[in-house]
Amino acid sequence: MSLNDTLKNLRANGIDEAKRAERLQELNDLRVNLLGKKGPITKALRGMKDVPAEERPEIGTLANNVKNDIQAAIEEKMTELNQKLVAKKLEEETIDVTLPATKQTQGTKHILNQTIEDIEQFFIGLGYEVASGYEVEEDHYNFERLNIPKDHPARDMQDTFYLSDELLMRTQTSAQEGRDMEAHDFSKGPLKMISPGVVYRRDDDDATHSHQFHQIEGLVVDKNISMADLKGTLDALCRHVFGADREIRFRPSYFPFTEPSVEVDVSCFNCGGEGCRICKYTGWIEVLGAGLTHPNVLTMSGIDPNEYSAMAFGLGPERFAMLKYGINDIRDFYLNDVRFLEQFKGVN
Amino acid sequence: MKISVNWLKEYIPVNHTVEEMANKISLTGIESGPVKLGEELTNLVVGHITSVVPHPDSDHLKVCQVDVGESEDIQIVCGAPNVAVGQYVIVALHGAQLPGGVKIKRGKLRGQESNGMICGLDEVGVPTQYMPKEFENGIYVFDEPQTPGDAVYDLLGLKDQMIDIDITPNRADTLGMRGAAWEIGATYNEKPTFTKPELAADKVKDMSDVTVDVAEKKLVPDYLLRELKDVTVGKSPLWMQRRLWNQNIRPVNSIIDAANYVMIEYGQPIQTFDLDKLAAQNLTVKFANDGDKLKLADGEKDLTHNDLVIVAGDQILGLAGVQNSIEATVDENTKNVLVEAGVFDGASVRKTAQRHDLRGDASNRFEKGVDNGIVDEALTRVAQLIDQTTTVKEISNVITGNFTKAEPTIIKGSASHINRLMGLDLATDEIVAILDRLGFNVDVNGDALTVTIPTRRWDMEIEADLVEEVNRIYGYENLPNTLPAGMETRGGYDPKRELANKLRDILLGEGMDEVINFSLLSKQEVEDFNIDNSEFTKLLHPMTEDHEYLRNSLIPGLVRNVAYNQARKNDDLKIFEHARVFQRVTGQDRPSEITYLSGAISGNVVTDSWNTTAQPVDFYYVKGIVEELLAFTNADAEFTFVATSEYENMHPGQTAKILANGQVIGLIGKLHPNYQTAHNVKDTFVFELNVDMLFDLNAKSVKAQTAPKYPSISRDLAILVAKNIENGQIVADIFANGGKYLKDVNIFDVYEGKNIKPNHKSLGYHLEFQNPNDTLTDDEVEKAFSLVKDSLAQKFNVEIR
Repeated sequence: MSLNDTLKNLRANGIDEAKRAERLQELNDLRVNLLGKKGPITKALRGMKDVPAEERPEIGTLANNVKNDIQAAIEEKMTELNQKLVAKKLEEETIDVTLPATKQTQGTKHILNQTIEDIEQFFIGLGYEVASGYEVEEDHYNFERLNIPKDHPARDMQDTFYLSDELLMRTQTSAQEGRDMEAHDFSKGPLKMISPGVVYRRDDDDATHSHQFHQIEGLVVDKNISMADLKGTLDALCRHVFGADREIRFRPSYFPFTEPSVEVDVSCFNCGGEGCRICKYTGWIEVLGAGLTHPNVLTMSGIDPNEYSAMAFGLGPERFAMLKYGINDIRDFYLNDVRFLEQFKGVN
Repeated sequence: MKISVNWLKEYIPVNHTVEEMANKISLTGIESGPVKLGEELTNLVVGHITSVVPHPDSDHLKVCQVDVGESEDIQIVCGAPNVAVGQYVIVALHGAQLPGGVKIKRGKLRGQESNGMICGLDEVGVPTQYMPKEFENGIYVFDEPQTPGDAVYDLLGLKDQMIDIDITPNRADTLGMRGAAWEIGATYNEKPTFTKPELAADKVKDMSDVTVDVAEKKLVPDYLLRELKDVTVGKSPLWMQRRLWNQNIRPVNSIIDAANYVMIEYGQPIQTFDLDKLAAQNLTVKFANDGDKLKLADGEKDLTHNDLVIVAGDQILGLAGVQNSIEATVDENTKNVLVEAGVFDGASVRKTAQRHDLRGDASNRFEKGVDNGIVDEALTRVAQLIDQTTTVKEISNVITGNFTKAEPTIIKGSASHINRLMGLDLATDEIVAILDRLGFNVDVNGDALTVTIPTRRWDMEIEADLVEEVNRIYGYENLPNTLPAGMETRGGYDPKRELANKLRDILLGEGMDEVINFSLLSKQEVEDFNIDNSEFTKLLHPMTEDHEYLRNSLIPGLVRNVAYNQARKNDDLKIFEHARVFQRVTGQDRPSEITYLSGAISGNVVTDSWNTTAQPVDFYYVKGIVEELLAFTNADAEFTFVATSEYENMHPGQTAKILANGQVIGLIGKLHPNYQTAHNVKDTFVFELNVDMLFDLNAKSVKAQTAPKYPSISRDLAILVAKNIENGQIVADIFANGGKYLKDVNIFDVYEGKNIKPNHKSLGYHLEFQNPNDTLTDDEVEKAFSLVKDSLAQKFNVEIR
């Protein structure tokens, strides 16, 4: 057989063997066997000396081509086998994605604190400072300074836990008003504050009463504060909390420390004002009390009511949360059943 | 109080439905709701009983023939004991609808045909306690002949429409029909008209059997009486009775009814006495003596020297402004009547009524105030009504115990100031017009307003009151929505709250749920965790033993939460609370309020699942959370954990105090097994940190350092050491001797037991050395490492393994 034919045979056989290989090892062996220094091609080329000089370049080219072709066939087959291996591995690694996750739990902020912080953030955006005040308060700040003297009937309305004649568990976060007005330097601009916190009343605990609950008091003292400012502020608050489509309305009311005093209703977020069980078929839900600070309260804090006016409002986070999330029993907030708490993950 | 629309029509025109009115009144003045009585009632007519015969098959039933205005009488079987021939009665015809879904149908009663029902007042909607007593156990019988077949609704007020007003304490001026008419009139721009009561001149005599002395003139600014002689006490007319029972007042007799009627009409409570039952002729209004008794129908009340009473000699006639005794009650035999109209101090009445649990229509009005401008007019009105509805021979002039002339209030203000406070720009004329609707007279002088307030609006005192009146009548719905337009301010939390928010976020990130507990605890609970040995702070008048003391630790609340949840199979718990505790120094009344951040972890921190194995919480898990928290406090402090066994309810071998620069700032550990058993909680670890103290340490300034560029070299160290030596001691010693390039020491193994000497443990440490400025050499490290080993061997007698 001529060298030429030998090489061609080697090529045909080599390519054929590569194609038939089933394992990578076979291909490696094939490469070493056929293309290595001791392989048949190298061996065949030793017969080059017998080839006439003028044919040698042609044979040389052929030998290179044979090597390249076999190499290519081996590589092609290797790629194919590798892909098969990867496919097999992927197949083996396939998992059931519907199996439950390895738990990565974040805690849930108490829904009352979520509610409070949502309201705080709203007012911080309007330039209000947050000041929380004392839970044990003097009668003086909790009542007297709010225009509620000793025999005032309003004291009956908020039955009080006293610690001594002069000390009590504050019944309202409004108790902070006097302290804030005293401390404020009006030459530096208006006083704008909200005061969130815990308050206490001598009440039996039931579905709608709790001897401890939260309030947020708001107070703005400046020249020219008006009822329209109060309405605009509370309108924006109610839209923030209960939805952009909400409206509010004022109804006259009475608090010893504001004059005028109003109750604030928000249009029912359940029925949109048509009337439903939640709004007792009125289309409106009472959410807070407010008013212009009584001149006596300003005067007692050393503020001239002829120069300054003030607006104040007080709201109950429990009530807000109960309305917003349909919570029917105020005691749920304080039992801290984690199944109750965790349902409010991420609501605010 | 319920404002009857029919009654209201006597004073102002009414052109709106009761629903519309209630809504409008709510928005401009007083919270109100519509009341429509007897909406469901149908087929109720007057019947005239023409014959009554006993039922042949019944002992108590009677067969009645009743004229109901039709061509023939109808037969009705009736069981009422008081049914009789000739009576005019209420008949529910076939098909009639009664309250409570009751429907009347034609039928047979024990074989006798019955074509309807003869009704009692309670059966047609008048509550038993407010209907005349004589009809309590039977059918209602009209006093006067009526037309058979006429509907009974108007006669009995069964379908009256009313506006139920729920007043705030300052608006007691509307607790009378006349005051309510002013208020509702102002809402609709209608001024009410009233007729002044006049007495028949020939009956009025200057006479008085009694003398009256008001000892407490300050508390009783007005005390007026009239005597009515030779009175025939009877029933009051039906129009008065139906108005009373619709006001939830039981008609009694013509005298008492007139007094009650005037209270509703004027808002002025009136009392009546049987003049002949007085033990003495000299009346005194004074404080009772301790031990005096007030005789009531259902028993006696022991009076105190703080109770204002009306006495005739020694006879206690009544508690002033609250309730009369039964000593001189007017009854059907009364011949001579004494009528009282007084004004009593609100606070005094309130306390007396509360003390004796006798709050009622009269005390409610005096507590909130009455119009002292109409006291004599109301007294005259009672006399007039009694004269009109009964026979009276003589009426005395007013006998005065005390009288204070009522003066109108003058309020000065300005249109511009009122406008500014409303945020409006109303013309002065418009403001004046609104005030005029309320019956306030206004003198205008440029911008200045001088407003004269009638005595019926005693709540009006200052210009701010005018602002409210103008604004509400103008309509809050017409106010624009604006925001305060003053100087810009910077809003935000105070720095302590900022820190607390950050720390709470860390705990939330650690998977801990936030809880909120009560601040008031039981005695046992404050004793359980009195870590700082501070004085307890107790409420003067607690409601329950569960909530008697101010909390001195958040742990009892957290334990309650763990117990509550674990009782409901929520076994794995990670909770925290950020709140105040109260600590009191002996001798001081006021406790300090200290903010704490505390947590409790119980059950598994990794649950058993298809790919994980349950891992119960242990000390080190909780310590990890606390250390991360402390790292985020940005505190300029060195924190250490020091074992303690001094807390009674903590595990003595698994509890540590947490120190910052040597000062205790909190604790961490496991609850004592006995305490856990007593509180029904599984193994629970708690921690508590004083946020106020952490805040004071919150001062570290961080100077950035570039991340190290040179490689580190590490050495492992295994030692055998006595069991009682703490890791903290070893680590401190390693650092003390490891040289300046020792960067980190980590313990990777703790072992005791098999193959280890008794009372010894084997510890493995990984030491990491690094020079931030150069590559370390093995020699440098080996030198430092030797020093570490030598020191440990010398100080702790360790065996290097």
